[in-house]
Amino acid sequence: MADRRRRRLSHTAIHLTAALGLVVVAVTSFAAYRHSTWLTAALIPSILLLISSHALLARQIRRHEVIERVLHDTNRELESFSYSVSHDLRAPLRSIDGFSQALVEDAGPVLDAESRGHLDRIRAATQRMGRLIDDLLALSKVTRAEMRNERIDVSEIATQIAGELARLSPNRSVEVTVAPGLVATGDPHLVRLALQNLIENAWKFTGRREQAAIEVGATKDEDGMPAFYVRDNGAGYDPDFAAKLFGPFQRLHPASEFPGSGIGLATVQRIVHRHGGHVWGEGRIDEGATFYFTLS
Amino acid sequence: MDEILLVEDNPDDVELTLRAFRKSKIANEVVVARDGVEALDYLFATGPHAGRDSNALPQLVLLDLKLPRLDGLQVLERIRGNPKTRLLPVVILTSSTEQPDLLTGYSLGANSYIRKPVDFQEFVVAVRRLGLYWLLLNQPPPHPPA
Repeated sequence: MADRRRRRLSHTAIHLTAALGLVVVAVTSFAAYRHSTWLTAALIPSILLLISSHALLARQIRRHEVIERVLHDTNRELESFSYSVSHDLRAPLRSIDGFSQALVEDAGPVLDAESRGHLDRIRAATQRMGRLIDDLLALSKVTRAEMRNERIDVSEIATQIAGELARLSPNRSVEVTVAPGLVATGDPHLVRLALQNLIENAWKFTGRREQAAIEVGATKDEDGMPAFYVRDNGAGYDPDFAAKLFGPFQRLHPASEFPGSGIGLATVQRIVHRHGGHVWGEGRIDEGATFYFTLS
Repeated sequence: MDEILLVEDNPDDVELTLRAFRKSKIANEVVVARDGVEALDYLFATGPHAGRDSNALPQLVLLDLKLPRLDGLQVLERIRGNPKTRLLPVVILTSSTEQPDLLTGYSLGANSYIRKPVDFQEFVVAVRRLGLYWLLLNQPPPHPPA
């Protein structure tokens, strides 16, 4: 925050000095036109002002370069951190799972039912952790991905995602309504990922509805900016805990009721923030939920 | 020669991979190299393997990426850079699915790239398919002229 204020201040300083310089130059030219003796005297301050404005500009650029370098280094550290997570953290999990499985196979007959149950729990926990690591990596990839800026057919993407979900769970009957003509500008891959998370959530949390309904549409946020929304008539959430919604690994429902690792909305939020937009939700327990987002 | 060269530094992974081979009824002899240098010494019959016939190449190399001394990608580069081993089937078998690893692996001429799953049963399935494909179904490249 302090950084942004400082940057804005120095931008203002640059503009002010440049403007002042221009005024002086204009006055000088006018004076030169009438009394050539003024010329030398008046040119000096204008040149000085221009020089100082350039010096300020140069300092600003240098500061930006430092920031850029720090960002670059941080990104590289993040890369190598993710790499370690991806590689090193999974290796011990493979050992735990593999040797538990070997125990089940080789010593299963001499173990009692309770011990076999313990081994099953070890394996289930190992695989859960494997999934958590994968999800964490996927989330960090959202932050690291290169951004493209293109026109996106939101209606088309939402329809595709809903169609795919319907294909994967033919026993569900969900009425999906997608408003026609929704377009946005942003990174096609990331926006698709955000929509996918939101629509999959809606799909999941309407799992206990006889008449499940999901609606994808557009509205305006409080500043009049275009906002997209995904609405469902599913399990909703307790608005008292709404602040937790977008945190990674935060869940407002027990995993036994609605499975998942709690990474979906965190992913959506990161994507939306990378586009300079914001995301918010509206919901009540058992009365469905609506998630809105803007992209700029 | 029908052996498999397994380049893997983690003893647990070695044990589990051998177990997966046994469970998949893959009876080929498995030679284990614990790091990149050892793998190259074996392939090129140098260092501790100086007495080996360097024309006898394994049928398949299973290559982990994160290895002590020379890493997997460097090993692959050396393998592809040598006329004797240029065509040797190399399958990368690793934990990483990071884009740069995939990109560099394939760019350097890996024949296949497989991620080791956490679930051992899935791993056994992967090893069985891998063995079926590379040891039985796939026609190996002809031996290079000595």
